[in-house]
Amino acid sequence: MTDTLSRTFSALADPTRRAILARLSNGEATVNELAEPFPMSLPAVSRHLKVLEEAGLITRGRTRQWRPCRLEAKPLEDVAGWVATYRRFWDDGFDRLEEHLRSLTGDA
Amino acid sequence: MPDLTITRVFDAPRELVFAAWTDPDQLASWLGPHGYTGSAVTLATRPGGAWRACIRSPEGDEHWMHGVYREITAPERLVFTFAWDTEGDLRDETLVTIGFADLGGKTEMTFAQTGFPTVADRDGHDEGWTSSFEDLTGFIRGKDAR
Repeated sequence: MTDTLSRTFSALADPTRRAILARLSNGEATVNELAEPFPMSLPAVSRHLKVLEEAGLITRGRTRQWRPCRLEAKPLEDVAGWVATYRRFWDDGFDRLEEHLRSLTGDA
Repeated sequence: MPDLTITRVFDAPRELVFAAWTDPDQLASWLGPHGYTGSAVTLATRPGGAWRACIRSPEGDEHWMHGVYREITAPERLVFTFAWDTEGDLRDETLVTIGFADLGGKTEMTFAQTGFPTVADRDGHDEGWTSSFEDLTGFIRGKDAR
């Protein structure tokens, strides 16, 4: 529900980016290594990495040419948190709905 | 598979439970967490019709939400989109599907909120997105274990 979450979801909506994240869940990798399985140019892969980086899903090393990418778990945990937030929202509402229905059927 | 499913049995006929969702005054009376009050609920209950609602926290903070009805089959099924008002950005829009099953006077309500159709619709990867969300859950667990 925040901008960060929107960015996370947008970043995750692309199958290439999800595949990149899946690869990174096995450990750090360079752009070249990440690009290998994809039929696309290095600049195209770099653009995907930029989206992932801006969403906070990956971080990249500072060494100049060898800039290994690594997965960041925090935004992914927030995605799960987002669903949990909705569960609380509705569960609470449905408790109130139950009370409301009880008042209608006269069991209150 | 939906991202969020909640099943509840209410001791009321399903016509009543259905109406609690489609009647603005009734929806306003229960929507939102404990302590919140619903206000300004407008519901155009027809397919393609818009709905809008506001809940106010005990501290007075207002949270607006809105969406569009996709299916209204009284008293068994209700489908609508759901999004919070966030400065014109609809990227967190979700789809709510509610089934109302008759259990001989009681009603089993199956509520499902499924993922992020704005993103999915735009990309046309609806199924892929859903399964990826399941992958993601395993993913998060994997990270936690490290």
